[in-house]
Order: sequence, then C-alpha cells, then structure tokens
Amino acid sequence: MSSFLIHLLTLVCLYAMMALGLNLQAGYAGMVNFGFIAFAGLGAYAAGIASQLGWPLPAALLLALAAAAVLAVATARLGRQLSSDYWGIATLAIAEILRTVALNESWLTGGAQGIGGIRPLFADLPSPWRDLAFLALAALCLALVYGGYARIIHSRFGRALKVMREETSLAVCFGYDPVSLKMRASVAAALPAALAGGLLTYYISYVGPDVMVPSETFALWTIVMVGGLGSNLGVLLGGLLVQSVYSFAPFLKDWLGVSSDLAGAVRLGLVGLMLLACLLWRPRGLLPERLEALS
Amino acid sequence: MLQFLLDVLIRTSDLLLVSVGLSTLYSLIRFPNVAHVQYAMLGAFLSLAGQRAGLPLGLAAALSCVLVGCLAVLLNIFVFMRLLRSGSAVAMIGSLAVSLIAVALVLSTAGSRPLQYTQDISAPLTLDGVAVSSAQAGSIACGALTLLIFSVLLYRTNLGRSMRALASNRALALASGIDANRVTNLITFASGVLAALGGTMLGLTESVHVNLGNNLLIPVFSAAILGGLGNPLGAAAGALLIALAETLVINVDFGSLVGRSMQFFPVAYVSAVSFLILLVTLMVRPYGIFDREVRRV
Repeated sequence: MSSFLIHLLTLVCLYAMMALGLNLQAGYAGMVNFGFIAFAGLGAYAAGIASQLGWPLPAALLLALAAAAVLAVATARLGRQLSSDYWGIATLAIAEILRTVALNESWLTGGAQGIGGIRPLFADLPSPWRDLAFLALAALCLALVYGGYARIIHSRFGRALKVMREETSLAVCFGYDPVSLKMRASVAAALPAALAGGLLTYYISYVGPDVMVPSETFALWTIVMVGGLGSNLGVLLGGLLVQSVYSFAPFLKDWLGVSSDLAGAVRLGLVGLMLLACLLWRPRGLLPERLEALS
Repeated sequence: MLQFLLDVLIRTSDLLLVSVGLSTLYSLIRFPNVAHVQYAMLGAFLSLAGQRAGLPLGLAAALSCVLVGCLAVLLNIFVFMRLLRSGSAVAMIGSLAVSLIAVALVLSTAGSRPLQYTQDISAPLTLDGVAVSSAQAGSIACGALTLLIFSVLLYRTNLGRSMRALASNRALALASGIDANRVTNLITFASGVLAALGGTMLGLTESVHVNLGNNLLIPVFSAAILGGLGNPLGAAAGALLIALAETLVINVDFGSLVGRSMQFFPVAYVSAVSFLILLVTLMVRPYGIFDREVRRV
C-alpha cells in the first residue's frame, strides 16, 4: 500500500505542476486553452527522444522546456488574430494535430508504440528509496513552481494579467501590450507543464501518444475547476482529489471484474461528472480565488 | 472526375448536417457547443440500437433523431443555460464535460469495437462508369434535402424570422414579444435532430464507433467557423469547402513535385488540412468568409 501511496503522491505532484500552469494561463490571464496537454506532451516526447539519443537529464529537460516555449509563443501569437472562443477551438485542434504527428511519425516518436525503455532516474538506489527519491524530486519541482508563481502573481506582471483578464482595454490604457502579456503568460504556463511532462517520461520509463489525448486536458481542467480557477492553493487540493479518484478507478476492474473498456469508461465518466458537478454547483471551486479588496 | 465530385458531395453532406445545426445554435446561445459532435455519435448508436431491437432502419433513424433532439433540449435547459450565466468559457468547458460523459456512456455499453448496420446488399447504381452505393446516394440526397428544408424554415417561416431577429438583436427581439425560450428550444431540437441524422448517415457510409464524434470535431468546427459561426448557410458552404479540400488532398498525386512516381498525402493528416485552411482563412478574415455582421472595434 505504501508504494501505491508514493506512486499516487508522485502523480499528484506532476499533475499539479501541469494544472498550476493551466491555472496561470486560464485563471490569471483568462486564456481558455483546451489543448494545454500539448505542452506536457511535447515536454514528455522531447525528454524521451533526448534520452534515446543518450543526452543527460538536464539537457533532456532543457530540450523539453525549449520545445514547449516555442509552442507557447506560436499559440499565443495565434491568439492575436482570434477571439477567445475561436482560440479555444484552435488550441484543441493544435493538440490533436500534434498527437496525430506523434502517432504517425514512427521514425521520431515510435508511432503508436511510443518510446519505451527509458533509463529511470536514481536507478542505482535500492527499491523503495528509488521511488522516494523521485517523489522528493517531483515535490521539490512542485514547490519551486508554486513559489515562483506566487512571486509572479504578486508582481506587476501578475496584476497586469488580471487587469487584462477583466478589462483588456483598461490594460491597453495603462500602456500594456496584450499580445506581449499573453505571450509571456503562455511561456510561463508552458514551462512547468513541459517539466512535469519530461519528469513523467522518466518516471514511467515510457512516452506514447496517449499522454496527449484530449481527455488528459480535461483532467487538468477538472483539477483547476474543482480547486478554483485563479487559486493556486485550490489547484493543489484539486490535484490531490482528482488524481486520487483517477488512480482508484482501475481498482474497479479487479473488485468488480469489469472489462477494460468499462474501466476506461469509468475513468472518463468520472472526470466528466466531477467537472460538470463542480461547474453547476461550485462554479468558483472549493477554494475560490480571493479578490483583493480596494484599500 | 465524376468520382471525385461524388466523393466531395458525400463528405459535404456528412459534415453539413452536423455543422449547420452547430452554427445555427451558436447564433442563439453564443458559445461553441463542443458536445454537438457527440450528438452525432449518440444518434448513430441509437439508430443501431433501434435496428438491433427489430425496427426497420428508417424508423430506427427517425426515432433516434427525435430522442437526440429531446436530449439536446434537456441538456440545453438544465446544463448549458445555467452554465452560460457564469460566462461562455464556463459553458464551453461544461460542453466538454458533457461530451466526455457521452463517450464514457457509449464506451461502457457498446464497447470500443466498430459496428455496422445490417443493410440489404443491393447492386450499386452505376453512373457513367462510377459505382454509387444506395447508402451513399441516400446520404447525398439527405444532405441536399435537409439544406433545402432548413433554409425554407429559416427564411420563409415565422420561427425562422424570430430566430434571425433574436440572433441579430436580442434586446429588440425580446421587446417585440418574441418568446426566446420557445425559439431556442425548437432550434436546439432541430439541430439535435440534424446531428443525429448526420451521425446515422456517417455510420451507414463508414461504421459506427465511439470515436465518430471526436473525428468529426476538427472538420465540423472548421466548416462552421469558416462560414462564420452563427451563419447556417455559411456553414453549409464551409462544409463544401472542407470536403473539397480533404478530397483534393487525398486524391492528388504529388509524385511529380518530389520526383517520385507515386506520392500521396498521408491520410492521417487529412483533418490537419481542414484545420490549416481554417487558420489561413482566419488570418485574413477573423470572423469567417461569409460573415456580414458589422462590428465596432
């Protein structure tokens, strides 16, 4: 049981990092991104490919970060042309196209089979310590991201993002350029997602096109909406709740003896139901964003 | 050449049924309902269930259309209208959640294997040397007929006039005594019926499977956005354009360009093509090709 708990906590850390990124982009900057998983997926693939080429860990993670940053700038520049509804659809389509590329360009990504046999981190440590060391690394990264975001949000840049979210023309009047704000927010949101994606690749020693399926994006959205859009503490809580439900769903297969199709359906359905119930009855999440009062 | 034209028409009528409903509904509820493509998937499966229960296919399809139409209305009243109060982005996320639940329901009851309708095997019609199966001919006829009925509904009846009034100036339409809820419900019902019909047609010409809705997502939204979301006839033209591009890309031999004898475009990227067309169009015309609304900046 304790090794399952370590596994669960590691996943919570990794997915909470991705969800924090989504929260910065969607919650603070107001950019409704439905293809957010593309950043994590790109990071995961970059790490996988780099480690296949024999690159060391820091270089592989740097490649992951660089790839996601390029994608973030490209999608944010697209936002200059489109209104927000149209942009949401466009990001969904971009993520789907990237997944199609991952599925079909076997020479680069291993196709549907993905890239397996990636050398795990801390391979020299004995069994329980290896997982614990990875958990510590993931938790450290999560803490760094959380702290970094707290600084960003309370800086001038963070306040400018909120002004842009509420009233874009007011931000323009203050002399901010919305395109530049959106671009910087997107890059800041994409980096932790790519880092988490890269770490996930090392954690499960595998990367395949399944990391980029749209339902993963909605799982991230569920984490953010359950916790509270625009509230980083809420996102941590949401990550814990959603990932627990998500990780316990496969046990249904053993307990009830249902087919794997049904177990997959239960996972999807649970995410959908949680998201919908939360939107209908707690639209601001469990820990809503605290709006600063005028002093 | 005739084969090419037929392929375009079949694809157009598949996309058209779903994208016209999506676009019309957008003009009333003002958020892109992502779950709309799943109505097509549900419609295809309900027709299949009806047929398995012993109904003739026509009756099963009609029943499934009515059921999906009612489902669309119920979802609209109890879910989307409530979510819209918190904004269009929230409603859109809600529609994604609804489509996840729809996929999960179908996956758990029907499994992930593709299924087929039982059809009488009849000799295909032959037109000038090109074979057309009766399902394909039916699909084209259905698309054309629906477009005709729908444009009559929109431009010749009171319901259509009320709908267009609501879409162009909601406050004025309400002030002149139009019952907004009734119009919205009727149009939602009609768009659900169209989506179910489109899904059933797609199931007839291809197969019925759980990813039917997800595969429609990019081409249908590309068609609807190309035509300008909220413009039904524009969506039809958008569907034609997307179908034309997809078929062109599949059939053209790029061998002479890359110096090989045969080089076709990889089929897996066909949906990417429709999306690329969409992107390029939106760069030039940010609200679609056929948008005539005047907007103040």
